[in-house]
Amino acid sequence: MIPSDHFTRFYNEVFKFLEDQGEEHLEAYWLEISKNQEKHTLELFKEKGLKGMYEYWDHIRIEENCDMDLKLDDEKLELRMNVCPSLSKVLDNDAEPMKRYCDHCAGWIGPIIDKVDHHLVYDVIDRNKPQCVVKIFKDKEKAIEEEKNAKLLMGWPNNKK
Amino acid sequence: MKPILLENLYLKVNKNNLDQKLRYNDGGNVHMDFHGATNTTIEFIINKYGIDTMNDIFKKVGNHVYKDIKDHIKKGNIKMLAKHWQHFFDRENADYNISINDEEIILTVNRCTAYEHVRKLVGNVSPNFCDQTIKTNEALAEDTPYEIKTEILGEAACRQTIRKRT
Repeated sequence: MIPSDHFTRFYNEVFKFLEDQGEEHLEAYWLEISKNQEKHTLELFKEKGLKGMYEYWDHIRIEENCDMDLKLDDEKLELRMNVCPSLSKVLDNDAEPMKRYCDHCAGWIGPIIDKVDHHLVYDVIDRNKPQCVVKIFKDKEKAIEEEKNAKLLMGWPNNKK
Repeated sequence: MKPILLENLYLKVNKNNLDQKLRYNDGGNVHMDFHGATNTTIEFIINKYGIDTMNDIFKKVGNHVYKDIKDHIKKGNIKMLAKHWQHFFDRENADYNISINDEEIILTVNRCTAYEHVRKLVGNVSPNFCDQTIKTNEALAEDTPYEIKTEILGEAACRQTIRKRT
């Protein structure tokens, strides 16, 4: 068994292989993971919207030991990751980290948010630091406006930035 | 002749008799759903690239991610692997035991919670799900004086044995 605690280091090895095959291979994998994650998220997000997203990431915050602040208001959900355990483990690793490890997160989250007709603004800030800011808006125009403030804006398959 | 009972030849491992410092010593909560993502990944890679590619990735996990355990095995310290087993099977609340003697260490997993969690999540577990254990173990032992044999005993059950090569 590769322990669930070490999944991200396994993930990192998969990403490095797929990146060597080409960008479309990496994106096909993110979409597969996204489909897998729909089991945990899609109905909840469809049914409860931003509140359902808050519930999901609040559960993840606890279960994945994230140092993360969540803020919900009528217009948006804001997720401020202060210390990301996923990238932290990949950096604390005897195997070499994939340089674009952070990209997978928008890669699986983005397609789900598109499906529930909300709008994701994913600012990774710096790929070498385990921190990011994610904002999910009800209103598309507000999301487009917010994108201007991002330091390193992430796109995802079928929604390149 | 009086039969020798197997349990007399082995010491059962508990928290107090494996004093090893792990390279990855995770604590906190456990996110079992990652096993579902592992299952998805195994299916995706095998369907798209074939089983050899999947096995190569597991080999990299064994050789690079677990370099520290491998280095210990090379030097003859196989207790580090036993400590790894103990730490993470405890964290995942598996039903298992570890027996140790001078020649070998045997991990017997009676109920693998990773396997069971995936079965609960997706119904059908990949027939290659346990390759993550078999192939990573093979890589850990490669180029060391030891071999690691992984026997699948049934669904969610296996025996893993590390012993000196003959």
